[in-house]
Amino acid sequence: MIIVENISKTYSSGAPALNGVDLRVEKGEFVFVVGNSGSGKSTLIKLLLKELEPTTGKIYVNKKFLNKITRKRLPMVRRDIGVVFQDFRLLTDRNVFENIAFAQKVVEAPARQIRGQVLAMLSMVGLLDKYKSFPNELSGGEQQRVAIARALVNNPSILLCDEPTGNLDPVNSWEIMKILDEANKRGTTVLVVTHNMEIVQAMKKRTITMSGGKIISDVEKGGYFYED
Amino acid sequence: MRIRSLAYNIKQGLKNIYRNRMFSLASIATISACLFLFGVFYAIVTNFQYMVQKAESSVCVTVFFDEGMTDQQIQDIGKNIEGRVEVSNIQFTSSDEAWNNFKTEYFGQYADLAAGFKDDNPLANSASYAVYLNDASMQTTLVTYLENMDGIRQVNKSDITASSLSSVAVLVGYASVVIIVILLAVSIFLITNTIVIGVTVRKEEISIMKLIGATDMFVDAPFIVEGLTIGILGSLFPLILLHYLYSNLVGFVLNKFSLLNNILAFLPSEKVFATLIPISIGLGIGIGCIGSYLALRKHVNV
Repeated sequence: MIIVENISKTYSSGAPALNGVDLRVEKGEFVFVVGNSGSGKSTLIKLLLKELEPTTGKIYVNKKFLNKITRKRLPMVRRDIGVVFQDFRLLTDRNVFENIAFAQKVVEAPARQIRGQVLAMLSMVGLLDKYKSFPNELSGGEQQRVAIARALVNNPSILLCDEPTGNLDPVNSWEIMKILDEANKRGTTVLVVTHNMEIVQAMKKRTITMSGGKIISDVEKGGYFYED
Repeated sequence: MRIRSLAYNIKQGLKNIYRNRMFSLASIATISACLFLFGVFYAIVTNFQYMVQKAESSVCVTVFFDEGMTDQQIQDIGKNIEGRVEVSNIQFTSSDEAWNNFKTEYFGQYADLAAGFKDDNPLANSASYAVYLNDASMQTTLVTYLENMDGIRQVNKSDITASSLSSVAVLVGYASVVIIVILLAVSIFLITNTIVIGVTVRKEEISIMKLIGATDMFVDAPFIVEGLTIGILGSLFPLILLHYLYSNLVGFVLNKFSLLNNILAFLPSEKVFATLIPISIGLGIGIGCIGSYLALRKHVNV
């Protein structure tokens, strides 16, 4: 599903963000990526989305060799990857329904399919009654649930989450994690970058710890790895 | 792109125009101003060319023969002249016709005054060919040729009309092209800026679209629609205004300055606009396309 082979990424400023990272995530896995700020977690997500190019190394996503994917074929690869951000990134001029439907329109889904899919997603994230609300009328947790619904509405096989609970209180953070766990149980491979120690410890999922651009620990059903 | 996506993107493009309505209006106004000036120049140039063409068609060289030439010799000279590439057609005027024309022109209703010349044509040696030209600029070549021809006594030419009209027409044409090119460049610059503003306003949306898996075409389409719409609207307003002004102005000039009717010959508005409408709309679409392309190439790195 995701294979990363010996990748390094050095920004134009000269600062190395990733340094010889190897990673393999199988289909249906739920993986936490943890580490301090600047450890390379977000760079990893950007490389998997091909927002950035690796300086060296190879990346395969859904059996596609990302390094060689052309600009023309990139949209098809991205359609199979959902993405959730810390700051939600919802369109403030559109309501909840339109924000989720937007993802379907972008991939040119048939009109008759859009309504059903959006309602199913709203039901999954528990926001059926708020489909007409605008983002500024929702709490942080609700906005993140809309963002997850938007990320999942195209049925991606992989869901990448970059600090999805970073802006949320503990109660809402748990709500979000429950939804991500539910998506994983339905077959979606989930990769969550987080700082939330409590959640990582409690959920007992595979946990990869990064530091200084390297993976320093990869624990199955483990918890947060503490650096000495 | 699918039909339903096309409809969605047209809607988004029109929304962009509304969202940035001040900039869109500024772009439409600038394109309108440019295409209005283009239309004015076009109408002036085409009418000027029409007038020049009419004037040139009346430019002719008159050829008089040596004394004692026979009809056969005159006819031979005529055939020779007609065979020249510069010549459109020739008209022969005999001595008698020349005298009759003179009498009608100068004596008018007092034709009796010329009765004394009844049996003695004072213009006995004034048979001539009026030689009409294909192109007034060829006059000098033809005159040189005719002056060196045997049997020709005198060649009368109309220098001022031929050379000056041709050069003025060329000058007006060049000046118009330069001004229009500058105006078009300004239009493209402004429409590009308007679309760049649209792109900036929607940067977040574009970024999300790209991450979700929108194709380049899907991302670009609303901006192309925006550019095209601004371009087409910018071309329609000046056309309507020009049509109104042209019809009224030509009518006004012809009525108020009827003395100039022999000099001023205006093209009918249908003839001017049959060409001006497609050119203006084409230019509007072209400006829109180029503006969109430049803005997208530089600012939407999908």
